[in-house]
Amino acid sequence: MRILRFSVIYVCLAVTAILPGCDSDKKLFKKLDVVGAGITFENTLNSTDDFNIIDYLYFYNGGGIAIGDINDDGLPDIFFSGNQVKNKLYLNKGNLLFEDISAQAGIEGNSTWNTGSVMADVNGDGLLDIYVCAVVGLKNLRGHNELYINNGDNTFSERSEEFGLDFDSYSSSAAFLDFDLDGDLDMYLLNHAVHTSESFGNVELRNKRSYETGDKLLRNDNGKFVDISEAAGIYGGINGYGLGIAVSDFNMDGYPDIYVGNDFHEDDYYYINNGDGTFSEKGRSAFTYTSRFSMGSDVADINHDGLPDLISLDMLPEDETVLKRSEGDENINTLRMRTDQYGYYYQFERNMLQVNQGNGEFAETGLLSSVAATDWSWSAIFSDFDQDGNQDLFISNGIPHRPNDLDYIKYVSNEKISQTMDVSKIVDQEALSLMPGGEINNYVFKGTGDYGFQDMSTTWLPNEKTCSTATAIADLDNDGDLDVVVSNVNNKPGIYINQTNEKAAYLKIKLKYDEKNTYAIGSKVYAYKDGKLQYKEMFTVRGFQSSSQPMIHFGFGNNTTADSVSVVWPNGKRQTLREPHLNQTLEVKYDETSSKQYVKPVNVDQLHFEQISQDEIGLTFEHKEDEYTDFDRLKLLPYQQSDKGPATAVGDINNDGLDDIYFGGSKRIPSQIFIHSENKLKRVQFPVMERDSIKEDIDAVIADFNGDGKSDLYVGTGGADFYAKAEPLLDSYYKSSDTGFKLDEIKDYYENVKCVRPFDYDGDGDLDIFVGSESVSNDFGKVPRSYLLQNENGSFKPVQSDLFANLGMVTDAVWEDFDGDGKFDLVVVGEWMKPVFLKSDGSSFKIDNVIQGDMSGLWQSVSSFDIDQDGDQDFVLGNWGLNSKYKASASSPMKMYYSDFDKDGKSETIIAIEKYGKYYPLDAFDMLASQIVSLHKKFTSYKSFAGKTIEEIFTDEQLGNAKVYDVHNLASGYLVNNKGTFSFKPLPMDIQLSPVLTQLKYDFDKDGEDELLLAGNYFGVQPFNGRFGSFGGALVDSENRILTGNSIGLNFINKSVRHLNVVNVGDHRYLIVTVNNDKAQVYKLLK
Amino acid sequence: MKTYVNIILACAVLIVANSCSTDKKDVVIDPKMYHDAVDQITDVIVHDIFSPPVASRIYAYSSIAAFEVEAAHDSTFRSLAGQLHGLTPIPQPTNEVNYDIAAIQAGLAVGKALIFSEDKLEEFQNNWYKKLDELGVSSNIKNNSTEYGKTVAKHILAWADKDNYKQTRTFEKYNVKDEPGRWQPTPPAYIEAIEPHWNEIRTFIIDSADQFIPAKPTAFSIKKDEKFFAEVNEVYETGKNLTEEQAEIASFWDCNPYVMNVHGHVMFATKKITPGGHWMGITKIACTKNKSSIAESAEAYALTAIALADGFISCWDEKYRSNLIRPETVINTHIDETWKPLLQTPPFPEYTSGHSVISSAASVALTSLFGENFQFADSTETAFGLPVRSFNSFYQASSEAAISRLYGGIHYRPAIEEGLRQGRLVGNWVVDHVFTRRRKGADQQAG
Repeated sequence: MRILRFSVIYVCLAVTAILPGCDSDKKLFKKLDVVGAGITFENTLNSTDDFNIIDYLYFYNGGGIAIGDINDDGLPDIFFSGNQVKNKLYLNKGNLLFEDISAQAGIEGNSTWNTGSVMADVNGDGLLDIYVCAVVGLKNLRGHNELYINNGDNTFSERSEEFGLDFDSYSSSAAFLDFDLDGDLDMYLLNHAVHTSESFGNVELRNKRSYETGDKLLRNDNGKFVDISEAAGIYGGINGYGLGIAVSDFNMDGYPDIYVGNDFHEDDYYYINNGDGTFSEKGRSAFTYTSRFSMGSDVADINHDGLPDLISLDMLPEDETVLKRSEGDENINTLRMRTDQYGYYYQFERNMLQVNQGNGEFAETGLLSSVAATDWSWSAIFSDFDQDGNQDLFISNGIPHRPNDLDYIKYVSNEKISQTMDVSKIVDQEALSLMPGGEINNYVFKGTGDYGFQDMSTTWLPNEKTCSTATAIADLDNDGDLDVVVSNVNNKPGIYINQTNEKAAYLKIKLKYDEKNTYAIGSKVYAYKDGKLQYKEMFTVRGFQSSSQPMIHFGFGNNTTADSVSVVWPNGKRQTLREPHLNQTLEVKYDETSSKQYVKPVNVDQLHFEQISQDEIGLTFEHKEDEYTDFDRLKLLPYQQSDKGPATAVGDINNDGLDDIYFGGSKRIPSQIFIHSENKLKRVQFPVMERDSIKEDIDAVIADFNGDGKSDLYVGTGGADFYAKAEPLLDSYYKSSDTGFKLDEIKDYYENVKCVRPFDYDGDGDLDIFVGSESVSNDFGKVPRSYLLQNENGSFKPVQSDLFANLGMVTDAVWEDFDGDGKFDLVVVGEWMKPVFLKSDGSSFKIDNVIQGDMSGLWQSVSSFDIDQDGDQDFVLGNWGLNSKYKASASSPMKMYYSDFDKDGKSETIIAIEKYGKYYPLDAFDMLASQIVSLHKKFTSYKSFAGKTIEEIFTDEQLGNAKVYDVHNLASGYLVNNKGTFSFKPLPMDIQLSPVLTQLKYDFDKDGEDELLLAGNYFGVQPFNGRFGSFGGALVDSENRILTGNSIGLNFINKSVRHLNVVNVGDHRYLIVTVNNDKAQVYKLLK
Repeated sequence: MKTYVNIILACAVLIVANSCSTDKKDVVIDPKMYHDAVDQITDVIVHDIFSPPVASRIYAYSSIAAFEVEAAHDSTFRSLAGQLHGLTPIPQPTNEVNYDIAAIQAGLAVGKALIFSEDKLEEFQNNWYKKLDELGVSSNIKNNSTEYGKTVAKHILAWADKDNYKQTRTFEKYNVKDEPGRWQPTPPAYIEAIEPHWNEIRTFIIDSADQFIPAKPTAFSIKKDEKFFAEVNEVYETGKNLTEEQAEIASFWDCNPYVMNVHGHVMFATKKITPGGHWMGITKIACTKNKSSIAESAEAYALTAIALADGFISCWDEKYRSNLIRPETVINTHIDETWKPLLQTPPFPEYTSGHSVISSAASVALTSLFGENFQFADSTETAFGLPVRSFNSFYQASSEAAISRLYGGIHYRPAIEEGLRQGRLVGNWVVDHVFTRRRKGADQQAG
């Protein structure tokens, strides 16, 4: 059962508390004096006018590292490949001393430009061989990829041709894996294009094979590697910029799968192994989006659920100054062209942490996990460095010159560009040297065992700025903990010796498999202690252009034994060791008599829902959003207002006692009504409503408002495109009559409505309506008027206008007797506001301050629900979530300034967030200046703008004239009813991945008690903010029992859910899920 | 601190010495000073990356400011106040001034207000002040003249402020939609459409932005036997079979202020003068060849700049009426995925060709001042590594500028031919309605 744990949030808080008081001798990693240790390798680059980053775009990607015990003395040895310098092999002599045996070993290499290097027992003789990649054919680069077969006497023979691996192409790296499980190692060769085409080009380019640039899958046929890429479904086009490769059995079916990270606009490839010698690329169905300029990647189970999770690196800077000086994400129109016209998938510039949901999908948590921005990043390595039982994360980074510096692009370069028609000579060494340097500290994060990571870079790592690319890990000093080796551009390698030593327990496992795959590549290892699972796979190619020591390593904190360790061998046989002692290297040999066989784990614990096709109940509804883009008009709008629909209402519209459904349309698209007919739903035309198709319907209610015994329909409209007093902004009230429905409109209210909540608040027997408004078209930031409509004989009259007009940017409301006085009150939530409790005396309302603390948020939804099961009503509140670039806390609230900054007669909003105690605008300069043109005069370079606080960018007068909205909290959570006052508790991390837009209280499992179903996800933001698609929904039974949507049969990931409704059709109950710009989903309730 | 005081003292002494020795002399200001000032404005326009329409506006207001100063005292000339939409007479000087200095100052001050990088104009201005000192201009005259120039600039800027430019900055962006034949951003930078509301800018002399609507562009079609496809194919075939001279012509008239070069992660812009900037350069060449005075030069710049500015408004009006797709997009989608135009496609709709319209309009203006057969060697682009090209007339130059867009692979033929026609109509209107000379004006008005 996948019940979410609450501890997560508190773990994060606890980690924060550890931070102060760390001093240098507490560094987890101590830098090794490499020269003293005998290592003289230095990856020196010689950039000349004839060969530099213009001629070869990956000039600064660095060489490779391969670590493994080549002479079987129990000590891992280190191989470095150099780009332009000779390769080096260092024999580990113990005590952190190394011997350079490069010349005698014969591995120095013959290629002009080497790249990645990996170790594997390619010929299956039990000895580690070395494969070195090269870039060949570009300019004067010669040679080929080289395979150094280990002769067993500290010498190697280059035998790539014999094995069919002597490629002379543009290789980044390679991975050895037994993809067909025939017992020998096959190879995936990662190649890259060397020129960027100016035009995106169509995605179909990846299907046209190119020898030089295309990736290759090579099947080992008795020692000869055969290119089966095309037949196996591996792309190999000219637009592949393969920089990252990770191998893992992502879908846990026993066959290794492959993730390829591509730079630039080409999508990353997620190859699922079909088990029949072919792969299917399934990135779109697996990920909500991926990193854009993908570099290295790594895989580990970070949250102890036995499923491999993935990180893919990018280049988003954390530093405010670097961030604002660097080219960022593209604009929304370019993104749409790339995705909608050219067929590429969603990619955004930041590290992506993809957490495996076990159903073929991943939830991306990079921002929530605080690992999204580590600047120009190359290698990611998950490992338990502090041996507390949780996976930590090391990231290497740095670039000698930052080519994406905006001043360089727009101003600096131009003045130094030689006036020549020869484009290849247009930038000389001097011009290149004008790019700002990008040497930075590497990052290391401490894992918390769930989605949380804590940046420990300054605490754990030596303080040094480097350009570190390839990274490998090994226990170099055999003290049980994991040391880190990084390859530095234009410098000696960095070797960080782990000082955990005896402070925490470890278990190292060496696997010995038979057949040709002697190192058991592809094995799964499960370690249990006190019910906590640690799961690892035996794949050595990790990080970037490198391979790490072939072993499995676990940390166990203060324990002395593990409960059990089981190994699933590549052939699926399972062996288990009971209570192994810790602090040892366990050698596990394959036992072919073992009878247990691996079975794919079942993710689903407790199916509540079964998705069925719309047809099965006669539904044919697909919502289409209209083409209006708010950002074209309101350039600084934080999120769209035009995509809040459609409305969904369930009720008996034809008065036959059965459920019917009304779906609203977006602008100029008619609404659709489905009525119950012969145990199915059937679309029926209601001309009076279809005539109003110009309106955008956001929320609707079917009920008998005029007391004639027939259902009426009230529709709240919005859409944010029409503005001022445009008629289509008026709400529609369709009154039933003998001749059909007649339209009545609610006069004077032109706001964009978000919610319509009927209730007979005055107890006069008819339904009154609260209408909540979210915004005023073309004037985001202005408080829209919400209104309470009192029903007088079937017509509506606004009452207490002063109170209701000033509630704020309302998104949702619920009628509930929160104080138990027998009279139903109204709880209203909204964006940039606190939840408002409106206490009723039976005829009028007043605000009651019952909430403890300032709970201003970007609230999206509210329900009354007794979540703590103490008999009174608590309130569950959907918020923006914690997985975005927004940041808010009580001490450092997020701020939104609303004012006419540019004095053009229209107001705009600017969001500022706190970083290091100061407030900075979230938007980049170009975005701000596209609206506030005067900033161009104030800041004539990006350098002059970058790092400036909001107070430095705008004058006191500008900020002083602005209305300032605060948000103190972005977490979804609930207000606990403490007998009249309310205090807030956040919900678990799985529910913080996206905005929670809608909630449905209903007894889904027929146990006599209501549960609360939560759904959300939202895409109406600028590419800079990405897309919030990772929330799979959640079913809340109580605060201690919350089930993730994925585990109960819901498929909400990557769907922006607007409404949840249950309808009875025939004999069954169905959940109807209304999704913005997509087909409605239908689920059969299984209980 | 001490050093600082000393420097101030030294300066004071210098100034006193200067004013004593040169107070009475009649100083002649070399027109080159004025041309240098216009060049400097061009340099800052290039640095700040102003788009062609916006650059034309900067040229127009700064040139008109200079001309109005000259027209205020030189009886040969006639003020444009009352002629150009919304322009009222400039204030008269209250002290004795050198009108040439005041004119240059007025142009510079207007330019400075309209560009971004003020420091770059200030540095030039300070050097110019020094040169005036060296020339022997009395501090009194210098101060009076520059003060007056700035006063005039204020007047012109107040007028400029009402042309709807500020408001259009924040108007709605061009809506990118995937509709057949509709313009969309082009490689490599996929820049958003520039100035979709430029037709809402107040015109200078033409009645309205849509006074000279060109014929409709050929209807979009990708059917091989239809006219539009033939036009696309002409661009494609011309591009594939370019002669050396055609390539040279295309590059010479590129005038793209922001060409993005992309080499993997390395990106950089190569920046050049705008089409309007090129014609301001030709104006300078003509004035220099003709040994025009500062007043005559200001007249030439102003008339040319008005033709350019109204030309852009007229052209942009059509661009966002027809929203026609660029050849690069059509060819890449339907003919050849790998085809690239010789010139980088500029970021706005295709029809009509801006360079054709404004070159044509400018050539009419310049011909009206310098005559039909005015030979000149165009060295405007040498700073950008391009050769000198010689022309027998302004019309010859504008025709070449127009056809260069076909060679460059960024326009179909109708945009060029209709563009030339549209520009001629604008240019004719400008020379028929803007009276820069008193006599000429009086005569024409009488006639």
